[in-house]
Amino acid sequence: MASQYAAELCALLVEDNFGELFARIFSILQRYDRLSFPRLKFYSRLSDRQLRHGLAAMIQHHLIYHYTSYDEGVTYYEPNPQAAYYLVRSGKILAFIQDRLGKYAATVMSTIMFLGHAQISHLETLPELRSGQLEADGINDDLEGEGAGERVNGHNVVGAIEQPALLHPTLKALASHGYLIRVRDAQFQSYADNALDAERAIKSRPDVKQMKGKRLEETVLEGTLAMLREKLDGDLTRGLMHNGLPRGAKRRPGSGSADKSARMDYDMEDEAEEENEWSDDDMGGDATPMESGIVVRVNYEKLDVALRNRRFLDLAEMHASSATAQVYECLLRRIEYQTKQCRDSVEIPREGEEGEQYSVAIALSAVTEEVDPQLDLAGSIGPMEIQHSVSKRGKRPLDEGVNGASHQDSDAPSRTYEIDQHLSLLSQPPYNLTSKRVVSGLITWTVEFRHLARKLRHLELERVIEARYGDVALRVIRVLHAKGKLDEKRLQEISLLPFKDLRQVLASMQSGGFVDLQEVPRDAQRQPSRTIYLWFYDPDRIRDSILEDTYKAMSRCMQRLRFERSRLKEFLEKTQRSDVKGNEERYLSPAELTLLGQWRSKEALLLGEITRLDEMVAVMRDY
Amino acid sequence: MSRFGAKKGRKLPGAEFSWETGEGGGENDTAPTPLFPKYHVPRARPLTPHEQIQVDQYRSLRERFHDGPYYSVLDSATSSAKKESAARVHFDPFHGMPSYSGKYQKKMRTLPKLAGREYVMKFFPKELWQTIQPSFKPDAAMDGYVLRIDRPGIRRGFEDDEDEEDDEAGKKGKNAEGDAENEDDEREVLDPDEEEEEIMDDDFEDDDDDMGGDYNAEQYFDGGDDEYGDDGFGDGGGGGGDEDTY
Repeated sequence: MASQYAAELCALLVEDNFGELFARIFSILQRYDRLSFPRLKFYSRLSDRQLRHGLAAMIQHHLIYHYTSYDEGVTYYEPNPQAAYYLVRSGKILAFIQDRLGKYAATVMSTIMFLGHAQISHLETLPELRSGQLEADGINDDLEGEGAGERVNGHNVVGAIEQPALLHPTLKALASHGYLIRVRDAQFQSYADNALDAERAIKSRPDVKQMKGKRLEETVLEGTLAMLREKLDGDLTRGLMHNGLPRGAKRRPGSGSADKSARMDYDMEDEAEEENEWSDDDMGGDATPMESGIVVRVNYEKLDVALRNRRFLDLAEMHASSATAQVYECLLRRIEYQTKQCRDSVEIPREGEEGEQYSVAIALSAVTEEVDPQLDLAGSIGPMEIQHSVSKRGKRPLDEGVNGASHQDSDAPSRTYEIDQHLSLLSQPPYNLTSKRVVSGLITWTVEFRHLARKLRHLELERVIEARYGDVALRVIRVLHAKGKLDEKRLQEISLLPFKDLRQVLASMQSGGFVDLQEVPRDAQRQPSRTIYLWFYDPDRIRDSILEDTYKAMSRCMQRLRFERSRLKEFLEKTQRSDVKGNEERYLSPAELTLLGQWRSKEALLLGEITRLDEMVAVMRDY
Repeated sequence: MSRFGAKKGRKLPGAEFSWETGEGGGENDTAPTPLFPKYHVPRARPLTPHEQIQVDQYRSLRERFHDGPYYSVLDSATSSAKKESAARVHFDPFHGMPSYSGKYQKKMRTLPKLAGREYVMKFFPKELWQTIQPSFKPDAAMDGYVLRIDRPGIRRGFEDDEDEEDDEAGKKGKNAEGDAENEDDEREVLDPDEEEEEIMDDDFEDDDDDMGGDYNAEQYFDGGDDEYGDDGFGDGGGGGGDEDTY
């Protein structure tokens, strides 16, 4: 992530979100990588005060690492490009949380993002996290003073008594899904620093000191990894899961009739109901608030897992019926609860060099529990019955007869069988979205993540190639990918294309860097006439260059956005005025209102484009 | 072709392959390029509702950041900026004067505001503790940890004078607590807050040696008495004083 455009993009993102001061510090750190305070001050030409305040605030937002060495006592600062990059994904994450856990959870999440990291006790005091129902306004005044927020001075603290009603269950839900983690000291140092520290600590142990050679190396390596894991671990899910399920998971197992009716209500009503759906379901059990001393932050790694699953689900939805997709969603969700990160290694794995990595195996019965009992499974597979119209996400027309019927004829064993059938449907080529394992007589289903991630990557590359060079090129690429290196004649035979088309397409792809030629001389003179030329397609290479291009495209979008903003600077400043903001209708002329609307949609389009490109980056780099 | 001694009739592999023809233009390399070549402008698809939600979420979060205490810009060109500082040089004397409607204008911070929330001190390096919590005394032992006394750094040959000066300034700021606030630094934009007190002392000293003449458009109305100049507008010195109030 140290390439030019990636660095440029990160600096632009920081500027877009936090302003020029942060961007200056960040880009200086990116250029020089690791600086002590005086050097940083020298390079950045900022004042002491600006720099100190900026650094402190950036550390709060995890945008920079810091490290104080024990020998010199000097503190070094280092940029954290990952954190800066994730700023672009915030919109996606919040939309996802809103989809999964409701609007209020998204608000909590965005507040935590806004604060960088936050103590639970601090979150309790924030006015915007007070539960949406404004029932407590009168009560507030009575309770004022008893609130637990005296430590915070800047905020208008009204008693923190009534917020736990919603805040704590939400926090718990977020934490048990793994979307929040506890902040540890070591997370503020870069990985390399932590590794070195751990290594030093291990080496200074008396029993290790006596070892030598290979044994020493092994012990140090092992110990370092273990120590790092322990130090960086901020997992909050332990103890919050019950029966392997996080709190607040939407579809709960063992749904009784009451639950079912609740779900029907939910189907009929919209958003508003969704927010409370789980909270009043689950509230009865344990209303114990979260420990107020815990400091939490957003766990981007876990969110990547969730977003990746969303992506697989899209793939399944494209190629299978909606009922199948829904079964798949249940399986993926079960897996997500137990998957911490997208992959073990930090670097992007090379093609063909990564081993298969299966997900946790989920027993078929667990999936059966998870699946909505009213979902019409028989409709889309097997010997045909009457096809019910099942729309996406299990929303069905509120036709009593249909629901009753489907409920009647789906008794438990056949249901399990049907779900098994759906999952086997998914396990078919070309995508092999699932795979079946029989562990000691128990049928379990897993997902081959590495295989699928690779598949996603290839699909993305193929999409790019098709868009740029047309379908002929796509066929050539597929042939090359399947067969390896081919000379022109063989390639022509296999791809069944006329020479002229083939050459044209190969030439344009070569100039674009998508395919390349390898020469294999048949004698020592390397005469061109006695040389075999082989065409090949290297997905790794293409992936890297596409990734670079994507960074570049994203940063160009950001720059364009900045330019467009500077063109409308005067006008935008006017809309930002404290009297105009919020009452645009009143103070702006119709022409200005149109302009504002145009500007908003233009900005949305550019930001949307960045989001799309980010999706590509995620596929190429993170999944 | 013939210089490789290829036989007639047997063409080299790829000989008929012409590099010159591009993706369908078919023009030779030697031909003049068209004045207005056809260019296909790709258009982005309109946003789907789902993407719209994502964008809106991003924008609202960014809006929060912008309104939050950390958003800060570098260049606030006000007339209260210190003379000969970067901000003062870029000050626009014609449009930059404070006006009545300026009081509604969104004020930009030049310094992230750290006060107003609690911080977990152990997450920050020692040298920033005092910035985060002004009441913190670096000399006092905290949690049994005594602050390490800085060793004088090893001098390296290639550092020029200027940054040694900087180094010392940094060290001074680290050791003596109040120093960082009052430190004089000519080139840099400082927070306007502390600027106002300092304006008076460099009034006559460095005026004439660097400016060449004594004419200064920005000062035309000020008449040299800066300490009253700002307050003459009745709004407390432009955007300087009340930047924390929005």
